[in-house]
Amino acid sequence: MPDAYLIGAGQSDFGSFPDESYRSLFATAYENALESVSNELRPEQIDEAYVGTLGVGGRQLGLSGPAVTEHVGLDGVPCTRVENACAAGGFAVRQAVMAVRAGMADVVLAGGFEVMTDASSEAIRYWLGVSGETEWERLSGTTFAGVYAQMARAHMDAYGTTREQLSRIAVKNHHNGAKNDHAHLQFECSLEDAQSASIVADPLTLYHCCPTTDGAACALIASEDVVDAYTDSEPIRVAGVGAASDAIGLFQRETYTGIPASRQAATEAYTMAGVDPDDLDLAEVHDCFAIAELLAYEDLGLCERGESGPFVETGATELDGEIPVNTSGGLKSKGHPIGATGTGQVVEVFEQLSGRAGNRQIENPQYALTHNVGGSGGAAVVHVFERDGPRDEGEKQTEEST
Amino acid sequence: MTAVCIRSVGAYAPAFRIEAEEIAEVWGRFEARNIESKAVPDADEDALTMAASACRRALEAAEIDGNDVEWLGFATTTPPLAEEELTPRLASMLGISERAHLQTFTGSTRAGTRAIHSAPSACTALVVASDCPRGEPDDARGHAAGAGAAAFVLDPNGAGSVVEHSEYAAPYPGTRFRRTGSNHIEGIDVTKYERQAFTETLSKAAEAVTADGVTAAAVQAPDGSRPYRAASTLGVERTTIHECATVHELGDTGAASVPLSLARAIDDGHETVLAAAFGSGAGADVLRIEVNGAIPCDCSLTGDRILTYSASLRQQGEITSSGLDTGAAYVSIPSWQRSLPQRHRLVAGRCPDCGALTFPPEGACSGCQMLVEYDPIELWGPGTIETVTEIEQGGAPPEFAAQQARSGSFGVAIIRFERAGERVSLPGQLIEAAAVGDRVVPVIRRVYTQEGIPRYGTKFIPEIR
Repeated sequence: MPDAYLIGAGQSDFGSFPDESYRSLFATAYENALESVSNELRPEQIDEAYVGTLGVGGRQLGLSGPAVTEHVGLDGVPCTRVENACAAGGFAVRQAVMAVRAGMADVVLAGGFEVMTDASSEAIRYWLGVSGETEWERLSGTTFAGVYAQMARAHMDAYGTTREQLSRIAVKNHHNGAKNDHAHLQFECSLEDAQSASIVADPLTLYHCCPTTDGAACALIASEDVVDAYTDSEPIRVAGVGAASDAIGLFQRETYTGIPASRQAATEAYTMAGVDPDDLDLAEVHDCFAIAELLAYEDLGLCERGESGPFVETGATELDGEIPVNTSGGLKSKGHPIGATGTGQVVEVFEQLSGRAGNRQIENPQYALTHNVGGSGGAAVVHVFERDGPRDEGEKQTEEST
Repeated sequence: MTAVCIRSVGAYAPAFRIEAEEIAEVWGRFEARNIESKAVPDADEDALTMAASACRRALEAAEIDGNDVEWLGFATTTPPLAEEELTPRLASMLGISERAHLQTFTGSTRAGTRAIHSAPSACTALVVASDCPRGEPDDARGHAAGAGAAAFVLDPNGAGSVVEHSEYAAPYPGTRFRRTGSNHIEGIDVTKYERQAFTETLSKAAEAVTADGVTAAAVQAPDGSRPYRAASTLGVERTTIHECATVHELGDTGAASVPLSLARAIDDGHETVLAAAFGSGAGADVLRIEVNGAIPCDCSLTGDRILTYSASLRQQGEITSSGLDTGAAYVSIPSWQRSLPQRHRLVAGRCPDCGALTFPPEGACSGCQMLVEYDPIELWGPGTIETVTEIEQGGAPPEFAAQQARSGSFGVAIIRFERAGERVSLPGQLIEAAAVGDRVVPVIRRVYTQEGIPRYGTKFIPEIR
């Protein structure tokens, strides 16, 4: 079974683009991904494509995958649309890895896109709402914010987590996003801003919620049989893949203070990669709401269960911390164009592992993780990426040697 | 012919009130005479939901369940749909057998007594009158319009007998009417004509009914004065009418007006009661009820949530949009229909293998993960809030936008139910604020309207109410 490698990744700007179409955004991401490959990758060398999207501007298209691949000249390339709500992009990457590891393809495009800001707020709530449990949870009046707010409340009740700790997620991610030219919300916010913003669903304020965003992102996955043709040195291996699904409704789960699918997906990815959470140098996690990032710390093993509140207060997940999380700005600041979110996370990891992250570049990373959640936890996918080559002298190596 | 006998009583009025003074302050006058306050339905309440609430109370008071009911009569002048049989839905909400006889009485404020009189005497019957008339905000009918419901379990063993009944009808068109397609009642406001229709029909009907010994008289009350005008023709004292009148605090409750006062009279222990209903058009029913023994009652007619005038307009939808008819989560009517036991009675499934509860009872068992045929088990009763949040104004899903515009932010929670040593949780909307650990009880409310069809289901209210 050949290993899979990440040989390139690129994205459009994330934001609100009235003059762009879903196709033009995808084309930008695709071109940027092609340009990111160290050695030339020609379109005819792409064997397969998987594209993640939920709905196109609130509409439903039956062939939204081929609609974008034909637009960029990939006629003839088999393209499959992947839809797993907000995890569509992450699962598209997983499909690409599976195609390579199965020996069915040498080079696979994993893309994602969404156009959300041209729909009415009502249509957007519809599209977000259908990603949750519709017949009972949604029809009790619950929104996505409401579901995550209930998780936040449960976490607060169980572990003493505070609104200030939730707000620190927003502050950190806005700080990082302000350094990212592709981010939707490129401004900093203060702890006071985050805490005093209007309540959306108690205890979540507006600053605890991600925006609706337009954007596209693409990743290029290649087999180990051909990776050398496209990379100069230190290629990025997809070391671990994990995925799981779960009850769609929060009320049907064993816990309200964690996302079991994330935990299972992470365990699987770590096992496949042969690493522990301590080995990670950075992580891009699904922070659609501030509580989601705190839950991710625990579900991914970055800290103990119930300790995510104090953990964020230590600064460990800040850009210069022990394990920087959401260096891109995350969904909170970079934006959450549903189908593109998971592939967008891979773009950030690619840039960090290949030393292209500019003024948010962390020092010499070797292992990076992406974590993409569908709905409120009905699906989750985790990837662990490993940059080949030795670690430079640094904290992680010191830990390993001891 | 055997008398219809009352075995138990249940009554319900919304928790919201608007006081006459509040209306007078806005309009410079209050035209509904002798009314101090009136009940205002919540944004998701209507005649059907109030009927369900009153019926639940009557059934529980009688210590029977819906399956024991062989005949159901539902009286209202304000059915949520102009054409559609609503009694099957009411029967479903109460667990009444599909083979029970169902009958709707409507088109007149006399419908409540028509339903009582029409009930068969030889079987267990459930009669409910539920109404929430509306008038123009600036006229007497609008000022008077209230809301409430009263239900009676009738069977041969009931302690209260309808020992006499008489009716009379004469053509008096236009005394009170509602045009096709309109929500508001109107009148021609020819005072003498209206009074004549009222007193003539009631007095003629009363001629055949004995008034001796009556200690409480439940009389049709379009306002707080009109019933007293009938005192002499009915052969009762004005104080006898006042003894059980509900109009002064609930307002004009239409077809439920007389049944509500009758419920109060029985609840207060009166042993000989006259019930005199008037329906414009015009006709009247007069019933004499004699009580020989205890009649269990569960009447919840108090309300402590006082509304301002503007809040009452908003809550009733007078100044809010009806919401867009797009963007709502689409659950097809056939899909909704299949889930009615869960929507109406919280029927969960018990795994025959491991005993675990699953809600809704479909798919793999939540305990053993096996695909099983569940044994139905009703969760109706108190549950405990596990986690809760408030959906703030403007943030509701599209299908709840109209409700939120009318009644403001609302709570949503996950509620845990424990039955037979097993636990199961389900999501629910809260009618009033509640916190983690609080006990809540289910109530039937309108969930949302899609494709023109109101859909009803369970919401939750703190147990202490």
